[in-house]
Amino acid sequence: MTTIASRMAGAAWLRAASPVLLLVVLVVGIGSAAPGFMRLETLGLLLSDTAVLFVMAAGLTFVIMVGGIDLSVQAVASLASVVVAQWLPVLGYAAFPAAILAGLAVGLLSGFVHVRFRIPSFVATLATGGVVAGLALLASHGQTVTILEAGRAQARWVSGSLLGVPDLILIGALVAVGGLIVQRFTPFGRYSAAIGAGEPAAWASGIRVERTKIVAFGISGGLAALAGVLLAARLSSGSPTLANEMLLPAIAAVVVGGTAITGGVGSVARTIVGALIVSIVRIGMTFLNVNIFAQQIVFGAALVLAVAITIDRTKIPIVK
Amino acid sequence: MLRALGIDKSFTGVHALRGVSMEVRPNEVVGLIGENGAVKSTLLRILAGVHRPDGGTIEIDGQAVTIRNAREANAHGIGIVFQEQSLLLNMSVAENIYLGQEAAFTRLGLIDARRRNAAARRQLEKVGLDIEPTRRTAELSFAARQMVELAKALALEERTDRALTILLDEPTSVLESRDIEILFARMRALKARASFVFVSHRLEEVLHVSDRVYVMKDGGVVAERAAGGVSVPDLHQMMVGRGLQTEYYREARQVPPAERVVLQTRGLGVAGAYRDVDLDLHAGEVLGIAGVIGSGREELTRTLFGFLPPTAGTLAVNGTPAVLRSPAEAVARGIGYIPRERRVEGLVMFLSVATNITLARLGAVLRMGLIAHGRERRLAQDWVRRLTIRTPDVATPCRNLSGGNQQKTVLARWMTAKSRILILDHPTRGLDVGAKEEVYELIRALSEDGVAVVLTSDTLEETIGLSHTILVMRDGAVTGRFAAPAGGKPQQVDLVRHMV
Repeated sequence: MTTIASRMAGAAWLRAASPVLLLVVLVVGIGSAAPGFMRLETLGLLLSDTAVLFVMAAGLTFVIMVGGIDLSVQAVASLASVVVAQWLPVLGYAAFPAAILAGLAVGLLSGFVHVRFRIPSFVATLATGGVVAGLALLASHGQTVTILEAGRAQARWVSGSLLGVPDLILIGALVAVGGLIVQRFTPFGRYSAAIGAGEPAAWASGIRVERTKIVAFGISGGLAALAGVLLAARLSSGSPTLANEMLLPAIAAVVVGGTAITGGVGSVARTIVGALIVSIVRIGMTFLNVNIFAQQIVFGAALVLAVAITIDRTKIPIVK
Repeated sequence: MLRALGIDKSFTGVHALRGVSMEVRPNEVVGLIGENGAVKSTLLRILAGVHRPDGGTIEIDGQAVTIRNAREANAHGIGIVFQEQSLLLNMSVAENIYLGQEAAFTRLGLIDARRRNAAARRQLEKVGLDIEPTRRTAELSFAARQMVELAKALALEERTDRALTILLDEPTSVLESRDIEILFARMRALKARASFVFVSHRLEEVLHVSDRVYVMKDGGVVAERAAGGVSVPDLHQMMVGRGLQTEYYREARQVPPAERVVLQTRGLGVAGAYRDVDLDLHAGEVLGIAGVIGSGREELTRTLFGFLPPTAGTLAVNGTPAVLRSPAEAVARGIGYIPRERRVEGLVMFLSVATNITLARLGAVLRMGLIAHGRERRLAQDWVRRLTIRTPDVATPCRNLSGGNQQKTVLARWMTAKSRILILDHPTRGLDVGAKEEVYELIRALSEDGVAVVLTSDTLEETIGLSHTILVMRDGAVTGRFAAPAGGKPQQVDLVRHMV
């Protein structure tokens, strides 16, 4: 018994630690294969890149924790980029919160549709994502909206740096700290974990399951919009297709980090590691001259692999 | 001949079977009785390939066999009628009867539905069920579905030349007497071809139809008797096997409840389940609700915790009218719930003991709106000590605890939540004797403390032993009320008269 128990504990430990080990292996491997990789500018660029992906993936982590999925995040991010680009000249700084609130609203709506109409979250968010993508196309007439000189100055809080550290990295760090506090120290975070790990028991303990889920989707929408805002500020433009290739890497970041796709187990901290792995793989592929079109193939494969490794099959006899 | 030798089976936290041996001889009906339904079901499910035993062997005609799934069980001539029905409601009766056997009716890879339906009709005739095989299963009554279930098991007879063993898990609990007679007649007629294992909680029935009876208790077989040589009271004595009931249920600690009514219902009802329930639950009272499946008592307990909103009548908590639309609203009014499905509705099995204890009232460990982990840990440790919950640590996931300790963890949650009304829905299901006694001990302590309890139980004996007052239900209505003070407990037969 003790040997089995300790072996199981060992396996669990390995499962939890393997994303970090993978990250270390990747950094060392690519660093020695391509010496330019370890330069400070490259790493700064890497972390800035990762920050945007991480912000989106952090929001997604909340939804996946309660056992759902949010497929609307890339559409929400694109819409937010369009909102910011179009409204900066009119609203000034208020355009940023406006875009984020729009994302929050979409997220809450997705959550509401999911729990009230009892539609599986992947369908609900696929639908709201479609609606949102259409709105972004309509609002922008399908064009890229360039942020002009005045707007660029207002976007300095994203594109600038503080004491030599790019602001993007600091924003990502703030989201990480905030996310960790919410998950570890608030009733909402606790309830999310309980719902994801055992919804009937959470419900029977008097937890307001529906409300908790709607909030999780709201966070996901809000952070997806923030990711879109960051992207727009960084590229000085908004576009209805700006974040189009981000959904797969974002889900991959959450799952590769070790958050279980079935819910209940995971954290924003793991998503930091996951997002770093995804970024490094992406940049590493560029360094190693892998065709850019082939990168989604790698993310797709990595996602399948990560789910296969993190899923605890003793917990779920039948997978739908 | 089918023989099980030393079968052992544990589920997370529950040691269900301990070295169970039994044999089923050709052409006989073997009765299987015991207080705990789960144990008998587990044994049948192992023989039918649903579960794998942890230890022991199964022999057929002297050959050790491994039964990994229903198909392999069928190949050995073993069929089962499940207690909770296994039919797929969206399919036709014929599709259900031949589920997994479609290959027998294919032509060029396509199913010949006409041939299959004709075959299904033959099976239905065997059980005297006059319905179209093309009917959707969902349209049938519960009893009719039970007969379809039986027809499905009997269809096995045409697929194999081997001796048949049909396992029947409480097949009569939802049947009318006419259907029960059909079932028994069918069993007698088929005895030339098959053996049966028959599980029922109605001992008269078991004696009536069986040749031999196995009595199970605490996960093991305690007696094996020829049906001709024993009486119902004998069987009951062997099954319960405890001398001093009063001691077992801590009757000496049963004190009269207070005057104050904490939970009151008037004309409470749920359409299609139960109606016109008036009850007054007093502080410190244990109110037992007795009734068979379909009596409405399960639905009533679920209404009292907000799972199943009533469609008629009123409910008041501490004198204030209350509408309980969800468990959250029940919890907010000081009601707690211990479910029969401990692993599903009781605990979040993958989370820690501490997390589960504070789940219903995180407010107890918040500091400035944030969870104070140290405080949570100390609170949990305190409960672990007071209720003697055996766990290596409060950070241990609940799934690593035994059934009794899991149940105590659920109780600790409601004590943390300061619940003054507890709905106990089969609170000792699947627990061994020692763990049961600990739960009884706790119920008495809570009751002395003024906590009011609504109790449903797997056994009448437990209901009688623990309750101050007993409500008997039948077909959705309250048919009897009994006072059950210490030293003046009603007899089981008196209750049963109001149950059936």
